[in-house]
Amino acid sequence: MLVVAGIIFFGAVAMLVVGWFRRDRPGLPFLGENETLNTGLVVLFGMAIPIVILVALFIVSDLVLLPETDAPAAGSTTMTVTVIGHQWFWQVRYEGEGAETANEIHIPVRTPINLVVRSADVIHSFWVPELNRKIDMIPGQANNIELYAESAGVFRGQCAEFCGLQHAHMAFRVYAEPAPKFKAWLAGIKRPAVEPTGAEAQQGQRAFMEDGCAACHTIAGTAAEGTLGPNLTHLAGRETLAADTIPNTPGYLLRWIQNPQSVKPGTKMPGLGLGKKKYDAIVAYLTELR
Amino acid sequence: MTPVPRSMEAAGAGPVRRVDTARRAQASGWWGAALLIATEATLFACLIATYFYLRFKTSEWPLGGIEKPSVTLPLVFTGMLVATSIPMFLSVKAARGGAVRAAWWLLLLATAVQATYLGLQIHLMVDDLHSFSPQANAYGSIYYTLITVHHAHVAVGLAIDAWLLWKLARGITNYRLIGLRVAAFYWYFVSATAVAVVLTQLYPSL
Amino acid sequence: MTVTAPAATDVRLKRLETIWKESPGVLGWLTTVDHKRIGILYFFTSLFFFGAGGVEALLIRTQLIGPNQSTLDPATFNEMMSTHGTTMIFFFVVPMSLGAFGNYLIPLMIGARDMAFPRLNALSYWIFLCAGTFLYVGVFSGNAPSAGWFDYVPLASKAYSPGPGIDFYALSLLFVGISTTFGAINAIVTIFKLRAPGMSLNRMPLFCFAFLAVSFALIFALPALSTALVLLELERLLGFHFYIPSAGGDPILWQNLFWIFGHPEVYIIILPAFGIATSIIPTFVRRKMVAWPLVALAEILVAFLGFGVWAHHMFAVGLASATTIYFAAASLIIVIPSGIQLFSWITTIVTGTPRFQTPLLWIVGFIVLFILGGLSGVTFAAIPFDQQTTDTYYVVAHFHYVIFGAAVFPLLGGMFYWFPKVTGRMYNEGWGKASFWLTFVGTNITFFPMHILGLDGMPRRDYTYGPEMGWTGLNLIETLGAYLLALGLLSVFVNLAVSLFRGAPAGNDPFGGDTLEWSTTSPPPEYNYAVIPKVSSPYAMWDVEDREEDARNLELGRKTLEQGHETAASTAVDAEWDEILEMPSHSAWPPLVALAMSGVFAMVLLQQWLAAAIFTVVLAVTVAGFHLKEPEEA
Repeated sequence: MLVVAGIIFFGAVAMLVVGWFRRDRPGLPFLGENETLNTGLVVLFGMAIPIVILVALFIVSDLVLLPETDAPAAGSTTMTVTVIGHQWFWQVRYEGEGAETANEIHIPVRTPINLVVRSADVIHSFWVPELNRKIDMIPGQANNIELYAESAGVFRGQCAEFCGLQHAHMAFRVYAEPAPKFKAWLAGIKRPAVEPTGAEAQQGQRAFMEDGCAACHTIAGTAAEGTLGPNLTHLAGRETLAADTIPNTPGYLLRWIQNPQSVKPGTKMPGLGLGKKKYDAIVAYLTELR
Repeated sequence: MTPVPRSMEAAGAGPVRRVDTARRAQASGWWGAALLIATEATLFACLIATYFYLRFKTSEWPLGGIEKPSVTLPLVFTGMLVATSIPMFLSVKAARGGAVRAAWWLLLLATAVQATYLGLQIHLMVDDLHSFSPQANAYGSIYYTLITVHHAHVAVGLAIDAWLLWKLARGITNYRLIGLRVAAFYWYFVSATAVAVVLTQLYPSL
Repeated sequence: MTVTAPAATDVRLKRLETIWKESPGVLGWLTTVDHKRIGILYFFTSLFFFGAGGVEALLIRTQLIGPNQSTLDPATFNEMMSTHGTTMIFFFVVPMSLGAFGNYLIPLMIGARDMAFPRLNALSYWIFLCAGTFLYVGVFSGNAPSAGWFDYVPLASKAYSPGPGIDFYALSLLFVGISTTFGAINAIVTIFKLRAPGMSLNRMPLFCFAFLAVSFALIFALPALSTALVLLELERLLGFHFYIPSAGGDPILWQNLFWIFGHPEVYIIILPAFGIATSIIPTFVRRKMVAWPLVALAEILVAFLGFGVWAHHMFAVGLASATTIYFAAASLIIVIPSGIQLFSWITTIVTGTPRFQTPLLWIVGFIVLFILGGLSGVTFAAIPFDQQTTDTYYVVAHFHYVIFGAAVFPLLGGMFYWFPKVTGRMYNEGWGKASFWLTFVGTNITFFPMHILGLDGMPRRDYTYGPEMGWTGLNLIETLGAYLLALGLLSVFVNLAVSLFRGAPAGNDPFGGDTLEWSTTSPPPEYNYAVIPKVSSPYAMWDVEDREEDARNLELGRKTLEQGHETAASTAVDAEWDEILEMPSHSAWPPLVALAMSGVFAMVLLQQWLAAAIFTVVLAVTVAGFHLKEPEEA
């Protein structure tokens, strides 16, 4: 496409340059003044040649290539992952496995996945440039496409439909890994959350449950069953926080929960004003949730 | 060379009729009305398309257990409105032929029936409001929006009629004749949209 | 060589001057219905909004000059991004094209003395002014819309945009839509009815074909937007359900309605530019347009075909394959009429003897930028490619090339071209050329890298980006380009402003123009033409015998229409002389109707329903007043 476009563009510019050089001589170069010829050139370059190029473009992209972006045929995949867009994070569910996480998707390499996307609020769009076409996540309907990674690696995705204040900080990662590694990971996230070890972590868990966090977040196996924010059951296993906005380190985690607006202005997570001691304890708890 | 008429100076049945006959193209006012009607017709097309778009998004229609609309009265009333096209047409014919008084009475007759139509339709709508509201669901919303937009167009038509009745009582001019033709044109459009709207409105029961 | 005009001619000119005299002072401007004054009012008001939109753009680019900047917080960025698009499209480019250029030039080009509905014309202007003010009251009161210029739901619904910003957006657009509809109706009726007798459709300048096409497109496109906006406001303000899934609504309904309007809108944006290009080229290359009938047909086809392609804005939504394939095919077809026009212009330039003065430079720049924008546009018809590039900076690049490059460059070229006619003075040619190059280079530096950023994955409407993304360098270049572009535009307007006071006298026809406006004085007298011109071809000024016949007619008092405020009306296709129409003169009703309308919209925004009803009654009264005086009583 780029080559053809280049030819057309530079060809037209060349004609204009010719017009400049021949600005004192009427008529075409070599062919003189001939209205029929002029009109013929217009029809040739303006209609005939474009028709050929456009038909070719249409056939190749919209008839030959397009079916590859279709949703996978029913029964052709062995795994379904549902991703639900929220302002401004990604809820990820492995259907039939009882496994849920957020902001990260792990998939076995070279395995077609049936990806179903939905939205809990406004329109978002699921897009991992290196792996798949964009597919909008629309409240009230389910869209699906095939997610497929030819080689192992980490692939970044970002929301591609303007969804409000923190649209710019709504990213995620797809980890394509060899099947055994993926199975291990999946088994890991199916387990309920580990119990906190150590006094500070236990204090952190108490604060989490009693001081408001549990109202929005789920930690499987505990009393925290909120669904307004991302699932935190295995938070410590993730590489990033706040939908790939900051790295997942204790320092960043503390900053994020203590003053969410300083990390993602407009985020719906409130700063609860719990005081340094409690925040440190909560961080201690959360960093254990592998 | 026949002098080109200064159309706007024509006042009184005779001169107006001569200017009207001499004119070969449609008057500017007619064109303006035609284009306004085109844009309003497109508006109704969008609203009706919205109705069917919402309808085919779901299997149950009307939504939310709302009762299907009753068919008879709306169709009768619409027939009533469409029938006023006859006195409107005759009114224009009379005016163009110089019979201004006849034109006035025919316009009055049409207006009376059109006003009755609006009154009756509003009564039906108030009845509907007792069983379901526009805020109930998408069916209610599009149902009431569609008929209210239509009623608004009828109301505007009645205002145009009133204006013309007032003006024509004082005699005819080129401007008023064009006004009457525009009014008739407008009412043909409103009648046509009334048919489209009522068929859409009654679609679940048809 | 001076020729003493015969005394009879003097008397006639004096009589016409007296009949058509415009009232002086501010009151004169407030009550004017003269198409030239209205065109000037539109010009300056649209220019103000161009400036506002430009400031918004510079703020956006400054925020994006580097990663993680905090020039604008995300809320303000989203507001700037939304108001920039809304202002530029609805309050600058269309009013400038239709309201300023269209109004000023259409009657002149067809040999008429005013538009078909002069008071409606004035009303269109005052509504436009009120609607733009309405939106900016929202912006300046901290209530700018922030859901983007196409305002997708549910983001734009009450639940996710609780403040009045979206109401300012929706109501101001409904408001300005009334102005644009009236303007379109006026243009069509004027072109069909008021052409000089003898100017059959095949002798009408191509500029008028473009404006005819634009106006028809507006008539059929605006209702879709109005529907979408009315349904949105009913949902936001009165709790109706159209777009929210839980009660049977569908967010995609908004997208369909919006883009059924939105796609024709982009052709509406560009068609007047085509019209301006087809006026400037013949004059400066000193030959007639190659394949004239094909160009006229192409201009109409672009407007018509534009209605069948809207869902190419929705290829990522999850529509059925067959649907997307149809829309891709239809989108490809539109390339043909655009291609025909492009190659006609290029062939005309090559086969003519062009003088590359400022107006033609802008048109050559337009051709280059239009090709680039058109090429990126065609790539969207390759659906898999679109599904990667939609909602990225690649799209931002594309539409800025076609809207800024292809719609605005001809407007700027047209400003230079007709500046001498409107003001009677010449602009500075050296500065004109310099401002073109500054702007052209600035445009490319700003927008070309956006193609690359988009292909590199940078989504649009992001208020910031991280340093690790690798987008920093190009963003910096784009921002610097934007400042250069702003400088270029500034130099355009400084040149024109200074030339207004110090430019050399221009005379009637400084460029050897091909259309009728060059036959009258600069600026034209209030009555445009002392004699309704004789027309035998679309290049009326180059038909010397016809212009000589006009001079004879003036001496003899033929076709001078001096008995009142008069112009000629002809049949629609063959332009046989049909009537003499009396045009209205000054009227205070247009601004009053516009004010009453403002009251209605303001009360709806504030949800004061009783007050809104009262203002509606006031509106009805002013509309009645508008119609009170009949032409015969003038």
